[in-house]
Amino acid sequence: MVTFELRADVEDFLNREARLLDEHRFEDWLNLFTDDAEYIVPLREHVQGDVGPAGHPIIRDNKMMLLARIKKDQTGLSHVEIPSSMTCHLISNVIVDETQSSNEVQVSSSFIVRQARKLRDEAWWVGRRQDILRRVGDSWMISRREVNLDMTVLPRGISIFF
Amino acid sequence: MTVLSELGTIVDWEKGLVSPAIHFDDEVYREEQKLVFGRSWLVVGHEDMIRKPGDYVSNYMGEVPVVVLRDNKNQIRVLINKCSHRGNQVCLFDRGNTQSFTCSYHGWTFGLEGELLGVPMEQPFYRGELNKENWGLAELPSVANFNGLIFASFDPDAPAIEKWLGEDVSWWLENFVLASPTGGLEALPGWHRYRSPGNWKLVSENFIGDDYHVFAATHVSWLHVIREFLDQGILIPIVTYPGSPTRQVFEGSAGGGEGGPLGLGMIVLDDSIYQRDLEEAEQLGPESVEWIKERHDRLQKVLTERDSKPYSFMNGLLFPNFGLMGFFSAMLGRHFLQFHPRGTMEHEVWQWTMVEREAPQAIKELAVQRVYQGQHMAGLIAPDDVENFERMVESTRSSQVWDRPFHYGLQLGHEHEGPNSLPGNIGPNPSEFNQRQFYKFWLKQMQASRTPAGKE
Ligand code: FES
Ligand SMILES: [Fe+2]
Repeated sequence: MVTFELRADVEDFLNREARLLDEHRFEDWLNLFTDDAEYIVPLREHVQGDVGPAGHPIIRDNKMMLLARIKKDQTGLSHVEIPSSMTCHLISNVIVDETQSSNEVQVSSSFIVRQARKLRDEAWWVGRRQDILRRVGDSWMISRREVNLDMTVLPRGISIFF
Repeated sequence: MTVLSELGTIVDWEKGLVSPAIHFDDEVYREEQKLVFGRSWLVVGHEDMIRKPGDYVSNYMGEVPVVVLRDNKNQIRVLINKCSHRGNQVCLFDRGNTQSFTCSYHGWTFGLEGELLGVPMEQPFYRGELNKENWGLAELPSVANFNGLIFASFDPDAPAIEKWLGEDVSWWLENFVLASPTGGLEALPGWHRYRSPGNWKLVSENFIGDDYHVFAATHVSWLHVIREFLDQGILIPIVTYPGSPTRQVFEGSAGGGEGGPLGLGMIVLDDSIYQRDLEEAEQLGPESVEWIKERHDRLQKVLTERDSKPYSFMNGLLFPNFGLMGFFSAMLGRHFLQFHPRGTMEHEVWQWTMVEREAPQAIKELAVQRVYQGQHMAGLIAPDDVENFERMVESTRSSQVWDRPFHYGLQLGHEHEGPNSLPGNIGPNPSEFNQRQFYKFWLKQMQASRTPAGKE
């Protein structure tokens, strides 16, 4: 049974996780992922009738690919993040469900992320996430995150995390 | 004095000096919709995107929405996505399968050949006086299938596609872009789309020949990550990306006579990438090794008469707005990009991915990962390109600063210093020869303004 305490605990985790991103503490953020983690952003489309699924997603990262993104921005030469984006992650509509496995929960959440760069470059990202969180010792870790952006044409290239 | 009337002076492609005004002036933008997008053959898709009758994909030709479909007689058609009654959009989906399109305004329904099938309450309201045959969806008058690649043109008198492209461009497209000798290409469904600042020409000129930016500044953060991760033995696909600093590369330029030019960056003439592909294939298994050898053999047959034997190239563009990326190696998926104009200061990138049809599954999977990890809207490469365009728009949008031309002087006067046993011109790389060729042809189209389409 998902108790009030469990949901509060998960929400607190998600809020603190979002804070790490907004404070640009990307290595601390990456430490919240299990070594076998997957971070997926599927392609969203409007399709009609009997057609196959999209051939590949926008992002399907393992932990090393997430690390590559972080390292790239740390080179000091990653122009798309110079100056680095200001972001504000608003996380809401959190729903926690049990899974088959006693140490994992499935968490669905909605988000709005505002990204601001330079003088006037701005993007609003909105969507839903499906996470699998794993209990490791005293804390939660993210073992899978799927980010469904509610957009079929992206407002700019993606250089931030959701 | 308007920018448009000065084009002959301010687009001095011969000296490599081109005014930024052509990227920001509203009148130039409006005219090029007619003169460039209205008269060129434009790529609208690949036949593999629409495999069975009723399959369609949406796309744009300039700012005009079109539907590219396969009808019930297996004919590929390109219809303008605009109701013949009063101009409503009739197809709202990115891709699909259907037998008809029904307009949401008054319910006129159109078949796959564009024909007007049904009109609500036709008998009582139109009393048999509406000639339905005249009121189908507008269809692009010129449509061509070139080795699987579908082109369309608004110009009813467009030259045949073979003539527009010319022999040199056709040779490169057929053999090195569309993989005809090695079994053709397979499309991965889905448009990957993003808005990007900057006039469509800024990104087109980047793809047609700007290999200077790759190593000089724009993509060095990615190159740093490659070095760092290789040192640590972290071998993810974007890190083991095909490339080697030791090989010699050239720039290829073809066409630009009757039709638009094709530019190819980083053509590899030695077997360094072939050897590299073989090594990587060995890790994937014997089936992969066999395929790499097999496709090499097939390619060699096309090249028997040639002194120079190209293996691949990295990036390119077919005029006006069809970008190419990732043709460098058999282990890299093929990115096809369209740069659709969206006003003077913005464009939209519509990108799709293809792999070699006969390649083993292990190679296809690796090749595709390198597409979306790299020159893709969420990859480690493309967002830095977008950033440049964003900055260019910010600093150059005011007409106060249009006097000083942009500089395209790289390899000026040295463009022909390359081996010449291949179609087109093979010159040093990096170069800005292809950018100069781009503006030469663009100017030619803009100056043909006074003659109506097809009446030159
Ligand atoms: S506008 Fe389409 S039916 Fe009237
Ligand atoms: Fe680039």
